[in-house]
Amino acid sequence: MTAAKALVVVAAFMLSSLTPAAAAGPAVSEQDQACLACHAQQGFEKDLGKGRTLSLHIEGEDFARSVHGAIGCAGCHAEVNLAGHAEERKIPSLREYSLRAAQVCRGCHEEKYKLYEGSIHATLLRMGNQAAPVCTDCHAPHRVQPGSAPAAITGVPCKRCHEPIFNAYAASMHGKARAKHAAAPICADCHRAHEVAAATAGTVLKDACLGCHAQAVESHRAWLPNTGRHFDAVSCAACHAPAARRRVELRLHDVATGRRVGEQSGAAHFGERARAAADGGRLDADSLWTLLREFNQGGAEGKAALRGRVEAASGIEAHQLADRTQAIRDCASCHRDGAFEAVTVSVLGPDGRPVRFEVHKEVLNSATSVETMRAFYAIGATRVKLLDGLLALALLAGIAVPIGHQAMKWFVRRRLKRAQAGQVRAEAAERRDER
Amino acid sequence: MQRVLLHPLPVRIWHWINALGFLALIATGLQIRYVGLVHVFPFEAAVALHNALGFVVIANFFVWLLFYLFSDKNRAYHPELNPAKHFRESFRQIRYYGYGMFIGEPNPHQPTPYNKFNPLQSMTYQVVMFILFPLQIVTGVLLWDITRFSAAIEKLGGVRVVDTIHVVIFAAFVFYIIVHAYLGSLGHTPSAHYKAMVTGYEDVE
Repeated sequence: MTAAKALVVVAAFMLSSLTPAAAAGPAVSEQDQACLACHAQQGFEKDLGKGRTLSLHIEGEDFARSVHGAIGCAGCHAEVNLAGHAEERKIPSLREYSLRAAQVCRGCHEEKYKLYEGSIHATLLRMGNQAAPVCTDCHAPHRVQPGSAPAAITGVPCKRCHEPIFNAYAASMHGKARAKHAAAPICADCHRAHEVAAATAGTVLKDACLGCHAQAVESHRAWLPNTGRHFDAVSCAACHAPAARRRVELRLHDVATGRRVGEQSGAAHFGERARAAADGGRLDADSLWTLLREFNQGGAEGKAALRGRVEAASGIEAHQLADRTQAIRDCASCHRDGAFEAVTVSVLGPDGRPVRFEVHKEVLNSATSVETMRAFYAIGATRVKLLDGLLALALLAGIAVPIGHQAMKWFVRRRLKRAQAGQVRAEAAERRDER
Repeated sequence: MQRVLLHPLPVRIWHWINALGFLALIATGLQIRYVGLVHVFPFEAAVALHNALGFVVIANFFVWLLFYLFSDKNRAYHPELNPAKHFRESFRQIRYYGYGMFIGEPNPHQPTPYNKFNPLQSMTYQVVMFILFPLQIVTGVLLWDITRFSAAIEKLGGVRVVDTIHVVIFAAFVFYIIVHAYLGSLGHTPSAHYKAMVTGYEDVE
């Protein structure tokens, strides 16, 4: 450090010691105050080259109040040596800085880090996704509040990457309730904070709904036939987001284990085959049937089958949850012909999120659906058209029998009259003979 | 003509409960399958009624079964094991319905309490009561609670297979009921068989 720079540091330290922040913050140690002497300056930043900068500004008050205030600057920045660190720190990029910081967080938060490692975010990170969030993308380390402190709706970090979905949430009954009181759910309450999984994987979301709405199963059982089946095959949002379009997602499952098949576990070529079968468009009934048959012959470990699920057609629509009085209760909404807006077939992609292929809606009503989606049937909506024809035929044949029979009677009416006349004559002759 | 007791009271009770049950099951079944096209009952009510009627008809099936299990009149349901005789008599009966009855020929089959069905009736009722009806009961019960019976449904090939069987038999019953009701009008008077199914007594030559 040059003498001039040392002078600036000392002057800044003296200046900062006179500020109200320092005066009101006995939690900040003398050592930390020395750091804040520079880092409390507005606009303090480091030039990373190529027009990129790293903000080095820390709000002393915020830091003092944060959970990290107690461990002080050196708790995380142990490698920093006050003398000369400004020149020595080489930071190739903001991303690199965040990744290094995550390892520092891990030192104290190993448990959370392990949860994070199992998340969709960590999977994306391992796959080289430069936008995949790490600790500091969600947590501002110099302002981090205790985990028990409710996050304000305006401060939710998820919004940064998932803004359209967040906006749908904010306008939903959950979002509106959260704006008023902290007990209402926010992103992490349903999706979890660190072990966040792909939204359509597993039963995390349904469990989250039932976690708060514990009476939901019983209250549905009072009016909803086959409640258990509905809870298995219909997402909560399909009815509780009344404005949402509904989609049938046909998920590829391993028949033996009941688990969804992923591209990394037996369905590596499913996507290729599906794309080839769809031929640039949507899969039709025959191509879906052929695809499944070929897939099951093509070296998959176990037999795979499609399981259908009714869900909101997009993540945005799935968050447009309304007050329960507005939830769809009319069975015909899903059980009438043409109830579903779209049909997709999906396998789990390498990152755990579903890879979807569009399917013609007519597939739901095709005769091949008896085989291709053997475990999915929404009475009325997915009825096989061929069976409708059979029913009509049975009705017409039933009506044709009396009509045909009476027509035959009409055709032979003269013969009947002759036979009856002959019988009358014979009986008369018989009576004459008897006399 | 003499009056013969062809239909004992338990059989008549079973028959008419069954007839009304079938008609109501067909009506509610159509409402359930064609919600959006048919608007007679709300869907929920149609499902609840269909389920309840199903159990009534199942219980009623056992009235029929127990009666014939413990009655020597069950001979009416015994299959004809001689194929040549069976086809000869069936053909004779078809010829009667298709032609003979129009020119005043007598019915080749004269019912008795122990042999009340003609060969066509006998064969039809065996198929209906021993194959179609039990299959409809089983598939209906499975569809009534597909979560509880998921293992059995899976073994049968999935809910769509079970539903397809249920609907195919449904179609068969729609045809059967119409034809059955019409054939009931072909006694020596149009109402003779209907009256016999109420009083139990049939006029026999």
